[in-house]
Amino acid sequence: MEILKKPRYVREDRCIACGACTEKCPGKFDDGYNADLKTRTAIYVEYPQAVPLKYAINPDACLKLTKDKCGTCQEVCPADAIDYTMTEEKITIDTGSIILAPGFKPFDPSRFDNYQYAKFANVVTSMEFERLLSATGPTMGHVTTFPKLPAKPKKKKDKLLAEKRKDPKKIAWFQCVGSRDVNKCDNPYCSSVCCMYAVKEAIIAKEHAGKDLDCAIFFMDMRTPGKEFEKYYQNAKDKHGINFIRSRVHSVVEDSETGDLHIQYADEMGQIVRETYDMIVLSVGLEISAETRAFAEKFNIDLTESGFAKTGSFEPVTTSRDGIYVSGVFNNPKDIPESVLDASAAASAAGDALAEVRNTLTKEIPAVPETNVTGDRPAIGVFICDCGSNIAGVVDCPNVTEYAATLPYVTVAEETTYACSQDAQDKMVEIIKEKGLNRIVVAACTPKTHEPLFQETLKSAGLNKYLFEMTNIRNHNSWVHKNNPDIATEKAKDLVRMAVAKAGLAQPLKEEKIQVNASVMVVGGGLAGMVAARSLASQGYETHIIEKKDTLGGEALKLWKTAQGEDVQQHLSALIKEVQASDKIVVHTNTTLEGVDGFVGNFVSKLNTDGNTTELEHGIAVLATGAKALETTEYSLGQDDRIIPTLELDRMFKDNDPKLDQVQSALFIQCVGSREPERPYCSRVCCTHSVENAIALKEKNPDMDVFILYRDIRTYGERELLYKKAREKGVIFIRYEVTDKPQVKVEKDHVAVTVKDHVLNQPVTIQADLVTLATALVPRKDERLANFFKVPLNDEGFFVEKHAKLGPAEFATDGVFVAGSGHYPKPVNEAITQGRAAASRALTLLAKKDSLFTSGTIASVDVEKCSACGVCVSICPYNAPAFMTEGRFEGKADVNPVLCKGCGLCVASCRSGAIHLRGFDTNQIFSQIFALGETA
Amino acid sequence: MTEKNIKIVSFLCNWCSYGAADLAGVSRMEYPADIRVIRIPCSGRMSPKFILSALREGADAVWVSG
Amino acid sequence: MESKKTGSVVVIGGGISGMLSALDLANSGFYVYLVEKGPSIGGVMAQLDKTFPTNDCAM
Repeated sequence: MEILKKPRYVREDRCIACGACTEKCPGKFDDGYNADLKTRTAIYVEYPQAVPLKYAINPDACLKLTKDKCGTCQEVCPADAIDYTMTEEKITIDTGSIILAPGFKPFDPSRFDNYQYAKFANVVTSMEFERLLSATGPTMGHVTTFPKLPAKPKKKKDKLLAEKRKDPKKIAWFQCVGSRDVNKCDNPYCSSVCCMYAVKEAIIAKEHAGKDLDCAIFFMDMRTPGKEFEKYYQNAKDKHGINFIRSRVHSVVEDSETGDLHIQYADEMGQIVRETYDMIVLSVGLEISAETRAFAEKFNIDLTESGFAKTGSFEPVTTSRDGIYVSGVFNNPKDIPESVLDASAAASAAGDALAEVRNTLTKEIPAVPETNVTGDRPAIGVFICDCGSNIAGVVDCPNVTEYAATLPYVTVAEETTYACSQDAQDKMVEIIKEKGLNRIVVAACTPKTHEPLFQETLKSAGLNKYLFEMTNIRNHNSWVHKNNPDIATEKAKDLVRMAVAKAGLAQPLKEEKIQVNASVMVVGGGLAGMVAARSLASQGYETHIIEKKDTLGGEALKLWKTAQGEDVQQHLSALIKEVQASDKIVVHTNTTLEGVDGFVGNFVSKLNTDGNTTELEHGIAVLATGAKALETTEYSLGQDDRIIPTLELDRMFKDNDPKLDQVQSALFIQCVGSREPERPYCSRVCCTHSVENAIALKEKNPDMDVFILYRDIRTYGERELLYKKAREKGVIFIRYEVTDKPQVKVEKDHVAVTVKDHVLNQPVTIQADLVTLATALVPRKDERLANFFKVPLNDEGFFVEKHAKLGPAEFATDGVFVAGSGHYPKPVNEAITQGRAAASRALTLLAKKDSLFTSGTIASVDVEKCSACGVCVSICPYNAPAFMTEGRFEGKADVNPVLCKGCGLCVASCRSGAIHLRGFDTNQIFSQIFALGETA
Repeated sequence: MTEKNIKIVSFLCNWCSYGAADLAGVSRMEYPADIRVIRIPCSGRMSPKFILSALREGADAVWVSG
Repeated sequence: MESKKTGSVVVIGGGISGMLSALDLANSGFYVYLVEKGPSIGGVMAQLDKTFPTNDCAM
């Protein structure tokens, strides 16, 4: 494929991101990062933490590039990085697979004349509000009205407006702007994320402004079907006092004097209410841009009508074209954790297709043999970086260098313009070799970004990478004390002296190799577990599926169709066959897990198959234990065969049960056991499932009366189209309140269901022949399993993942992964996505089989001093220390280097001073403190 | 400088506060130059001995942040 | 597939999803080209203030 590389006009290899160029740049354009709330200069970096942290020139805003005037940035750049002559480059790449993750564009509400976003200063989009809340935003997190006015207005008109600026006391959010709407725009789908982000923005706004701020969210259905979302929503109501108003506001009128906004809406009782707000936030949806659509056309992949990539439920990240995969919002509207799951799933799908050519193009860096420095007198080299003028402009670097040379054990002190540049690194290697240095100190920027770079330099000079110390004389010194050069120079000397003292005590540290057993155990033979196993097997790893029942398939065996209408059993049996046929997958049915020993790379599990115990050694574990439907007697379930749970209706459809032909009036009750104090979560799948089954009943018999009694319809993403279709087919939706649930009475000829109609505000009784209850999905809550792997469960019994956003398919315990409804209820496509994602995450560990090492900066026990008190064993959050069970030092503590994260909690807690934290040892920290006590 | 130079020893956790101090620099905030940062891997590494020792070595204040 | 497969993958889009796809693939033995239209990676997530439901900082 061919890629067009646009010119940056700034040489990345030279730019040091000092920012001198922007100070004088006269060109201006809208700052997209800040949702265009302010402007930025033509030479810019998107935001302070941008990667790569290299400037770029917008050629449309640059005076040099548009009119051949100016050229200031080239004059002021200390690194000579500006190059106006750069041109577009065509790059041709040979590739095995392609993953498309182009993302979305926030909906532009300018075309909605009723909200007058383009005209009214205090009507903003949610994206703009996000920037207003941000500490790095245009107002530094201070929410004010007239947000688009510059902080210090220069124009007369702006100055007048700025006088009206105030801290808002009332803010309203309008939901579904550009979503679930085919009248004012063509976006029939639900954007999936807006309800939650509006709640979040309201909570944060209140946190910033205090109790005085009144926040109201105007919505149609509150859609909070994700993990921990429902509690977040309830807390917003109960704890933060945010008002939720179920109403669509027709229009907004601006007070021309004050800029306040008057609105009028009908409340739930049909009463007209008039209110005034200081600010209105439009919760804009996610949209696929025309650019992305055109781009999809180039790739020749099928899109849905709304422009999202077409994928199937059983291959949820695979496009219509071979070898092209999709992830993120382009693959249906979704939030961050789902995008993260998609990302790993797409990597897994793309990787599986290329399994046989894995490791053919990656390169290894040859290692330089390490010089043994043990016992040698320290010979310290100190390198002081000028960082152009960033440090040298404030700190007297020659003075600091001179000073450094006088410190104990310092053999060489050198000043360098840019220590991180390639030539400086090469020179450093040369000096280390020439002068026989064995400890290195670099005084420059932050070790958080640059320590690894310098450590690599040490390695290439044959030094152990832990013989290194870095001190920060830029971020913590020259940048923050620019008006006090003398004091900054003194401070730099102090910092260098402290670093030299610590470096003198540095020891070469060893990184222990972690042996990784290349086989995997998957607990649970449902969809997610099988998909994970299939992917790992296709990459060549032996995988064992542990299933307690006698067949594979799990809960999916009970399902009829997916939300997209695919036949579940057909796909499921194909998958089961594939798994059974694989020579890399061993299926253990009728098997339970009785115990687990070990840690990442080295687990030993005890399996019990029909009473026979065996041991399985594996390096990785995937927990895919799933969820099941709640068993309940609510609404007379179990007392009459006309009252059934959802899965029974699925069975009737699957078996073509003749009883279905008799049904004249069918009714569904939603949230049976979900979103209640006992189970304060949404089961996520039930709304779509019931809507889909309601449509199927209508299609079977268009004259049938079909009712759905619901609290909020949560057909997120393009599932919303099913909801629309159901209404078009005449399915009647009646909303009920949790405080006023429907009453079910079994009578001879029918089941009478009484519910208070939300439109009529009157109780109505429906005589149904078939009542389907959308029962909650409950986890298996296997505390024993959780204990085996030391992974946490939440209050409801779902597994708690490593990170709610960035680690949704793995646990904090290394080498253990999670997939499927045991993590949270999910439909077929999402369970498969997570199964693939877990496999992909596991593969990154398995692939490092020969290069997986512990960190060098970990704790170790001096057994001679250990009093075996057990404080370290009980205090460690990672279970790294344990009592030795055999040998000469039996009973004393030992730290497992694989589990140790190097936090030092045990070191600080050890009463005997028996534990050392390598790299941050007590004597090293003391040396820094003592060095500070001395004066330059 | 007529005022006495004061010294504050700050023990900053590598994962949060140390990064925050970096960001203060990136954002070009200005603050008094009295602070000397000692980077620690986690605030759990802190021992009361470090605080006492810093005070004995002449620190006017000790700041632990993590 | 008749033609010989290539052990590299192109990921288009440097948002949270694209970045993580690229990382997973690179860490499991594939050569990855990450293509982004803007001057830096990070996507929309970098613009967000906090993330629900934990209110963690998005950056």
